[in-house]
Amino acid sequence: MRYRALITALAVIAGVSFSAEKVILKKPPESLKKYYPPASKNYEFISAMHTMSTAFYGINLNINEGNWEGAKRWAQELKKTYLKVSKMVPEWKSYFKPQLADNLVKAVSSKNVDRVIGASKKLGQTCAKCHQDNEIAVKLVYHFPSFETIKIEDPVEFMEYKTGKYMEKLTNSMKALKIYLLQGEGDKAQEAGMNFVERARQLRSMCSKCHTNKLSEEVIVGKEFEKALNDLENLLSGDKPDRDRVFKLLGKVGASCTKCHNVHLIPQVVKEAFEK
Amino acid sequence: MRILLIIFLFLVSCEKLEEVFVEEDLLQRPQAKRCADCHAQIYEEWKESRHYRAWKSENFRRESENYGKVKCLSCHAPHQVDPEKKPVLRAEFREDGVHCVACHFKEETRSMHGPLKVWSPPHPSTQDLDYTKSEFCAGCHRETYKEWKLAKVRKSCQDCHMPSLGKKDLIQKFPFYLFHLAKRRTSHRFPAQKAKPEDIEVHLKGKELILVNVGVPHNLPTADQGDPKLYLIAQILYGDGKKRTLRKLLSPQSKTALQYRVPYHLRIPDGDVKEVRVKIMRKFAWSDEKETLKELTLRTPSP
Ligand code: HEC
Ligand code: HEC
Ligand code: HEC
Ligand code: HEC
Ligand code: HEC
Ligand code: HEC
Ligand code: HEC
Ligand code: HEC
Repeated sequence: MRYRALITALAVIAGVSFSAEKVILKKPPESLKKYYPPASKNYEFISAMHTMSTAFYGINLNINEGNWEGAKRWAQELKKTYLKVSKMVPEWKSYFKPQLADNLVKAVSSKNVDRVIGASKKLGQTCAKCHQDNEIAVKLVYHFPSFETIKIEDPVEFMEYKTGKYMEKLTNSMKALKIYLLQGEGDKAQEAGMNFVERARQLRSMCSKCHTNKLSEEVIVGKEFEKALNDLENLLSGDKPDRDRVFKLLGKVGASCTKCHNVHLIPQVVKEAFEK
Repeated sequence: MRILLIIFLFLVSCEKLEEVFVEEDLLQRPQAKRCADCHAQIYEEWKESRHYRAWKSENFRRESENYGKVKCLSCHAPHQVDPEKKPVLRAEFREDGVHCVACHFKEETRSMHGPLKVWSPPHPSTQDLDYTKSEFCAGCHRETYKEWKLAKVRKSCQDCHMPSLGKKDLIQKFPFYLFHLAKRRTSHRFPAQKAKPEDIEVHLKGKELILVNVGVPHNLPTADQGDPKLYLIAQILYGDGKKRTLRKLLSPQSKTALQYRVPYHLRIPDGDVKEVRVKIMRKFAWSDEKETLKELTLRTPSP
């Protein structure tokens, strides 16, 4: 019974999930930079996290098997790493309570399961607090590649633009197509529509800057997307394109835009906000 | 010179030559410049190739986010090249890019594999005819290889991108070169080449301008991860003096490149078309320069 309680208590601590009323995204502190590429290739910070999380489980596993000596060694490892991490990022110093890590070692030494549970929870809360405040932001900044460095060549102007600016041009030509169609200005609608088709086709050239598997491209900008664009081009080439059919095809093209945004947009928006 | 030859013959007669001249470090995966001690010319050629730049390339550094995108690295600094296999990332001398050891040294035989039958005392060599086949390039140039296969042509990647330099010495180091005959040499500059005007057929048919790649047996342009481009500019002059300019960006990454022998159609806006001036330019993935491949003026025949 007791052990069961221990397992659950520790399982909650060692994981990183949390429930909250609000999710906070704070810009990660400057000094964290040195533990991630390009400054470092060894990911020292996240490795230390893995060490602590493994140590927590090591305590759990050994106590379950009645191996208190083994548990103690992991408690000491946890304390050592915890102290080390507390010095890695000075801006985060106040999240750490070194005394609590020491208490956990003492609790394990006392071979008293209740004390271990109590001490684990207390220490675990310091982990959880920092994760709630910082983990998502750190993941986005240091693990998601940036669209900022990616340039797409505009097929209408033969000029290169960054992703955000390109999206704007792309969208503007789509809006112009809609507006001219609604105003009944055929020639202008045709030109704007052709520009939109070309710009939409060129979107695919971004994918290979991050993906090395063509299948990823097919999922979002594959056959259906190509077909919708070809149909739209053909429709616009004829005189007096049917307005409803144009709108319907734009809807099909838009499904791919949405898919791609669902996967990539949110991380990018957060990253960009921090980089400004 | 004669004395050397005599010493040499003496050595041959009394010892196993391989053991006398073998240079152990050559099998310890050295940098490319170590191979230059003997293969000086090949090294100089390679230094002008894109393979030499594969890691150092500023474009690559930027797009891989300072080498942070791990899945990008293996083909740009491979450990060992095997036909049709995607290589794994090398641990040492990554700045050498796609280098001699990666392409020629095999762990399995601990020797230098190459297309020729040679006697090479400093390091063991193994003749391996895979080196003359397109499959050798296919582990990295995966998309291009697929396109080439569909084209069903006889010429291999090497025939066009490692053109023969005729018979030459493989090594320049004294005195070793004296003991070797000149052999078939292939260009290690790996030139990307340039499509000839006749490789791209252009004609007007009805309301369409039609382009066909009839000369380059893969997409024009072709790529795996790079983003080379073709620029098509068509200036149309109508009977009533009106002018219109159409521009198209054709690239493998946007799936609009000219496939081998598959016609590309460009619709010309309605009107009494008098003439169409066509200009086709290309830009390599790693360059900002646009070079003209073909320029011509087409006139609609008077009825
Ligand atoms: C001062 C802040 C802070 C404290 C305290 C902290 N962490 Fe973390 N932890 C982070 C951040 C930031 C990340 C995200 C790192 C990343 O993704 O690169 C993280 C990630 C993790 C991860 C997930 C690793 C992954 O691969 O996604 C684990 C597990 C973890 N921490 C365990 C712990 C444990 C156990 C403790 C307490 C003993 C702890 N952490 C204390 C900041 C902290
Ligand atoms: C700035 C880098 C970046 C660019 C550019 C990019 N992606 Fe992604 N994409 C990611 C990341 C990061 C993930 C998460 C999975 C991963 O790490 O590979 C992802 C995931 C995906 C997934 C789901 C997982 C998979 O690989 O199948 C698809 C599908 C996808 N992207 C398609 C696309 C398409 C299509 C494009 C081009 C229109 C594109 N991506 C451009 C970074 C990028
Ligand atoms: C790589 C997959 C991808 C595809 C495909 C794509 N987008 Fe985007 N889009 C993005 C990313 C990433 C951003 C954020 C760019 C930034 O903020 O730097 C963005 C931003 C935008 C924005 C402005 C930002 C906002 O808050 O909404 C618009 C508008 C937009 N895209 C329209 C489109 C349209 C229209 C299409 C389809 C024709 C499309 N996009 C296809 C990735 C994609
Ligand atoms: C280990 C992977 C690998 C192998 C094997 C390989 N290449 Fe490459 N190749 C590359 C990379 C990476 C580049 C791009 C280097 C750069 O510009 O950054 C490249 C570039 C090239 C280019 C220049 C393209 C341009 O845009 O200018 C040619 C031509 C070429 N390779 C031909 C070949 C041929 C022919 C073979 C087979 C004999 C071959 N390659 C084998 C990886 C490889
Ligand atoms: C000390 C001189 C020396 C050095 C250094 C040297 N080689 Fe050689 N290599 C030779 C000689 C000699 C031959 C045979 C030449 C001949 O037969 O004309 C040869 C032949 C070769 C061949 C042709 C094999 C074949 O079967 O086609 C390859 C490939 C080769 N070397 C690769 C390398 C590589 C890679 C390095 C650097 C790691 C290197 N060599 C360094 C002397 C050297
Ligand atoms: C991208 C892979 C690649 C790289 C890098 C490369 N080679 Fe080669 N090498 C080949 C191939 C393929 C052949 C066979 C070409 C043929 O016969 O069609 C070859 C042929 C040779 C030969 C036989 C003679 C000849 O010219 O064909 C020698 C010797 C040789 N290479 C040495 C070197 C040395 C030294 C370096 C580095 C300076 C080097 N190679 C770099 C792929 C490579
Ligand atoms: C018949 C000759 C021929 C053969 C065979 C051939 N290529 Fe090419 N390749 C060319 C020409 C010509 C170009 C230049 C196109 C241009 O003007 O941009 C080229 C360009 C390239 C480029 C540079 C990117 C580009 O399109 O400009 C790469 C990379 C390439 N080829 C790889 C390969 C590989 C890999 C193979 C074998 C699977 C191969 N080629 C087979 C003639 C050939
Ligand atoms: C399967 C092997 C392979 C992988 C993986 C790979 N590349 Fe390459 N890369 C090549 C080859 C081959 C070329 C030369 C032909 C071409 O343009 O595709 C090349 C060329 C390039 C070029 C153009 C040449 C230059 O130096 O400017 C860039 C940029 C590039 N790669 C970036 C990347 C990025 C970013 C990734 C990861 C998303 C990546 N590569 C992953 C094989 C690979």
